Amino acid sequence: MRAPAHRHVDPVFAALGDPTRRRVVEALSRGGTATASGLAAQLPISRQAVAKHLAALRGAELVSSKRVGRETHYRLRPQPLTEAAHWIQMVGAEWDDRLEALRRTLEKGRR
Amino acid sequence: MKLHDEDAVLTADRRRVERDVVVEADPDKVWEALTDEDRLEEWLAPDVELDPVEGGELSVRDDDGERHGTVETVEEGERLAFTWKRPEQGPSLVEFTIEAVPAGTRVVVVETSLVPGETFAPTASANWGAALPRLRRSLLLVFA
Repeated sequence: MRAPAHRHVDPVFAALGDPTRRRVVEALSRGGTATASGLAAQLPISRQAVAKHLAALRGAELVSSKRVGRETHYRLRPQPLTEAAHWIQMVGAEWDDRLEALRRTLEKGRR
Repeated sequence: MKLHDEDAVLTADRRRVERDVVVEADPDKVWEALTDEDRLEEWLAPDVELDPVEGGELSVRDDDGERHGTVETVEEGERLAFTWKRPEQGPSLVEFTIEAVPAGTRVVVVETSLVPGETFAPTASANWGAALPRLRRSLLLVFA
């Protein structure tokens, strides 16, 4: 089964991929800074799963982290998302134009 | 060519865009439009050079400049894939898939950024609808 058409999905969300990861980002966006435990308390996933998503998000430079005492505090960095969203939006628009031109050229002369 | 890391838990997917269109034309006509230089110049870009065989070269020029690349996959009548890049940008993989449908032919194009370290791609997730409106409001707050 094909993936659903992404044409009408806001590119910011298209950039986030995994739905659980989106929820982690959403929770982070609500609260300023958070710990893995604090995020896990807000979400129906384990602290371990949250930690894995935070590691991936940190690898993608979507979150920054800081040790405060024995805890690590995470904060959202929206810039990479914005850049990815921009790429997705631009490239998507280019392909919309080209596919429309393809359609016109193939359907030329019909009817 | 491997596009997605196996350990998806610890790495995000590549930037990826998918679009499709259904055209009222037979698949063989569509294939021709995808692989013949003169036809390609009617829709892909004003100036196209393409050797439509695996390993063949691609050269495209439009108002924004040039792209060069290589043909990766040719499955006659079904799939065409090539890489392309502008001199000042990273490479992408572009994959076309065509299939006959009752109304004619569906053409699907997927462009995937191949720049190492770039992230984020839509995965084949079933439940976009429910999560989106809530997330949209939250992220709009972040980006405002």
